[in-house]
Amino acid sequence: MPEVDFTVEVCGMAGDGTIAAGGLINEAMSHGGFSVLGFDSYPAEIRGFGRCVTNSRIGSNEIVALGEKTHALISLNDEQSRSRTPSLAEHSLVFFDSNPPAYVPEDSSLLSVLPPGAQVFGIPFGALAVGASGASRGRNLTALGGFAAVTGVDPNLFRKVIRDKFKSKGDRLVDINVKSFDAGYEYALEKFSDRLKKIFSKIETGHDPQKVMLSGNQAIGMAAIDAGLKLYFGYPITPATPIMEYLAKYLPEHGGQVVQMEDEISSIGAVLGSFYAGARSMTATSGPGFALMTELITHGVMAEIPAVILDAQRGGPATGLPTKTEQSDLHAAVFGGPGDSARIVIAPTNVEECYHFVIRSFQLAEKYQTPVIVLTDFFLHNRVENRPLIRATEGQAASWNVFPDEAFKDHYQRYADTPSGISPRALPGMQGFNFIATGLEHTEKGSPDYSPENHTKMSEKRHRKLRYSLKDLEKPAEFFASDHLDVGVIGWGSTFGSVLEAVEKSRKNGFKVGALKVTSIFPYHSETIGAFMAKSKRVLVPELNYEGQLANLIAHLDSKPVERLNFVTGTPIPPSAIQNRIEELLEVEAQ
Amino acid sequence: MKTPARVLADQVNQIQKSGRFSPRSASLPTWCPGCGYFGIHQGLNDCISSLEIPLTQIVTVSGIGCAGRYPFFSNTYGLHTVHGRALPAATGVKLGNPNLTVFAVGGDGDGLAIGGGHLPHIARRNINVNYLLFDNSIYGLTKGQPSPSSPMGTKTKASPYGTVDKPLNATLMALAYGASFVARLFAGDPKGITEALIEGVRNPGFSIFHIYTTCVTFDKNFKTWAHLKEWTHALPQDYDPTDLGRAFNEVLKDDFSLGVIFKRDA
Repeated sequence: MPEVDFTVEVCGMAGDGTIAAGGLINEAMSHGGFSVLGFDSYPAEIRGFGRCVTNSRIGSNEIVALGEKTHALISLNDEQSRSRTPSLAEHSLVFFDSNPPAYVPEDSSLLSVLPPGAQVFGIPFGALAVGASGASRGRNLTALGGFAAVTGVDPNLFRKVIRDKFKSKGDRLVDINVKSFDAGYEYALEKFSDRLKKIFSKIETGHDPQKVMLSGNQAIGMAAIDAGLKLYFGYPITPATPIMEYLAKYLPEHGGQVVQMEDEISSIGAVLGSFYAGARSMTATSGPGFALMTELITHGVMAEIPAVILDAQRGGPATGLPTKTEQSDLHAAVFGGPGDSARIVIAPTNVEECYHFVIRSFQLAEKYQTPVIVLTDFFLHNRVENRPLIRATEGQAASWNVFPDEAFKDHYQRYADTPSGISPRALPGMQGFNFIATGLEHTEKGSPDYSPENHTKMSEKRHRKLRYSLKDLEKPAEFFASDHLDVGVIGWGSTFGSVLEAVEKSRKNGFKVGALKVTSIFPYHSETIGAFMAKSKRVLVPELNYEGQLANLIAHLDSKPVERLNFVTGTPIPPSAIQNRIEELLEVEAQ
Repeated sequence: MKTPARVLADQVNQIQKSGRFSPRSASLPTWCPGCGYFGIHQGLNDCISSLEIPLTQIVTVSGIGCAGRYPFFSNTYGLHTVHGRALPAATGVKLGNPNLTVFAVGGDGDGLAIGGGHLPHIARRNINVNYLLFDNSIYGLTKGQPSPSSPMGTKTKASPYGTVDKPLNATLMALAYGASFVARLFAGDPKGITEALIEGVRNPGFSIFHIYTTCVTFDKNFKTWAHLKEWTHALPQDYDPTDLGRAFNEVLKDDFSLGVIFKRDA
C-alpha cells in the first residue's frame, strides 16, 4: 500500500462555506479509513470581513501534526487564496472558480502568483451549482466534487457525509447538495479525463467505527458531561466560548445547568461555591480571563476547595492575539496569584487526552481539594482528529471525594494535618461537621491563626499534599526509549505532535534521538524528567512562547543547559523546524 | 473578677450545654464593643432559631471586612471568601445544593465597591440567597477610609480635605436591579431585622437586607448611634411594599424609613 500524506486547504471569505467544505473533506476521508488532522483558522472580525482557511492533513499512517506543504488548494475566493500560495508543494493541485461571482482584476488573480509547476483546475463552481440546485450557494460542494474527481476519492464517501450533514434540514436540501457535488464531480471527470491523479483510490483501509471526528472543544464538552458535571459557570472569551456553547446545548438534558456569569471572577467564585456545596462544576477561559481568576484560585488553595478551570491559551499578553495559538500561560497557571499557592496543572497533548484529562481533573480536584487547571490552547481546541475515543464509564468518572469518618462527629477538624496532607472534607448538610472554609491562614480546626508555628505547619501540609498528588498524576511518557540519546526532546501540550513527528523523521535519518511527553506540568515528575535529561547529550525544549516557560520550570533538573526553541508565530510549530534544530545540535556535537 | 467577655462566654456555654437551639458559635465576635454588628448578629440568630432551620443546612458566605468575619461567629457551615466575592460564591453554593439556606453577609466596601458588579446579576438571576448588607459608610477593618456610601465631605486619613464623590444608595440600586425582596433596616432594632429576615428567607428568590449600622471606632460624625436613632423611622402606615413605583418614590424622598420596602408578588 502506497503511503499517503496529503494536505489540502480550502480558502475563501467568511460566508463562502469554506469551513463547511473543510469539515466535509475531514469526514469523508475519515470514513475512507484515513487518519485526519484538521485545523481551521478564521478571522477575529465579524462575518463578512475576513479570510477563512481550513487545513486538513490526510494520511495512511497516524497523523500527529499539521502538514507544512499544501498538496491541494481549493480556492473559493482567489484574492484571499493568494495568501496561501507560499506554502504550496511542488506540482500542487489548485482548484479555482473559472467563472467567479465577481470580476477579479488580472493583477490580483490567483493564477498570477502560483509557483511554476502548479497544476490548475478551473471549474465553474457557481454556474454548476446554479445548474444543479438553482442557486449558487452550493459552489463549495461543486468545488469538492472537482477535488474528489481529480484526486480519486470515492464519490460515495462525500455523498454519505453530505447526507449526514444536511439530513436534519430535510430531504430537499440533502438532494440539492448532493446534486451540486455530483455536478462538480462529473464536470471534472470529463473535462480533466487525461489529468486524473488517483491519489486516494488505491487505499483499501476500511472505516474504523471507533474513530470519531472530534474537535478538542467537543471532547472537553463530552468529558464534562460524562463526568456528571452539574454546573458550568463561564464568561465568553475566544477560544474557550465553544465549550460553554456546547454545554449550554447538551448539559440540560443530562441534568446540569450552564450559567453565563458577569465576569471570570464570578465564574470561578461560583465554581468554588458549588464544589464547596458538593456539586461538580467547572469554568473555561483564556489568558485574560484566567488572570482575573487567580486571586480566587489561591483562595481554593488556601481554603482547600476543589475547582476545575480550563485555560485555553491564546496569544498574549493582554488582549494579545485572540484567534492565534500560543503556550504562554504556563507561568500564570503554575505560579499566578498571591502567596505560596501550589495547585495542580495538567496539559493534554491531543484531542483524546483532552477528554480523559478533563474527567481526571474532577477526581484530582476532589481528592486533593485544590483547584486543578487544565492547560490547553487554541490549536488543541479547534483542531479535529479522528482517533478512537473510548468513553469513560460511570465508574471511571466516579467521585474521589474524601469524607470524614463518623467517629470525628462533633470534634471534626476540617484541616487535620495528616501524613498525606489530605484532610477529609465534610459537605454542608452533614450533621456534626460544621466548619468555616476560610482564605485566612487557619488552624487544623479552621480558626484564623497567624502565628509563625501555625503558618509554617499549614504551608508544609498544603505542599505535602501537592507532592503526594504526584502518585495520581500521569508520568512523562518516553518515545523511542533508549539508554543514551544524542538529543532528547521534551514537549508539552499541542506542540508535542510536532515533536514526535520531528523525532521520528530524525531517527529515520539515522540519528539517536528520543522524545519525552510531559503532561503533568505541576507538580511534575522531577526524577523521570531529570533522568531523561541526564541520559541525553543535548536537551531541546520546543515551545510556542517567547520565554521558554516549560524550560524555565525544569531546566534546574540537570546541570547542562537546556536548548530552547521558541516560536511566537501564533501558529503550530512546524515539525521540520524542530527536526532542523535537532540536526543542527547533532552537527555541533559531531564537531 | 470576671471580665464582661468572660461572663458572655459563660452564658454562651450555658446555652449550648442546655441543648437550646443556638446559632451562636463558641468563638466570640471580635468586633469592637458597641459595634452595630452585634445587633445584626442577634437579629439573624433569632431568625434562624424561630424558623428552626437546622444549623447544618445553613451556609453563611462572606467576603472581607469586619462583616466578612461573621461566619466565624455563627454555628452554621461557613465560607469566608476573598474581598467582594461573597455573592458569586453564594450563587455557587445555592445552585450546588438547593436544599441549603444561604446567607451572604458583607459591608458597604465589600458589596458596593469591589463587589459592586455582582449585585445587579444575582438580583436579575433571582438566585435564592439572602444578602445582609452591613452599611456603616466606612472601611473599618483597614482603619477608616471613606466608602461608596460615605456622604460628600467625609474627612478621614485617606480624605483629609473631604470626599468629593456622591454616595450610593443600596436600597435604590436593589430596586433598580430588580431584586425580588428589598428591606431597609437598622442595627439598633434587632427585632425589626428578625421580622424582615423571616419574611425574606421565605421569599423564593434573591432577598437583600440593607442594614444601617455604626462604626463606633472610625465614624464619630455620620452614622453614629445617636444620629441613626434620631433619623430612622418606620415606613408610612399605608405603605404597600408590592407597589414598585411607590417603593422608588419612597426611597427617593426618604433615606431613613425602615421596613420591607419591596416584595414582588408571587
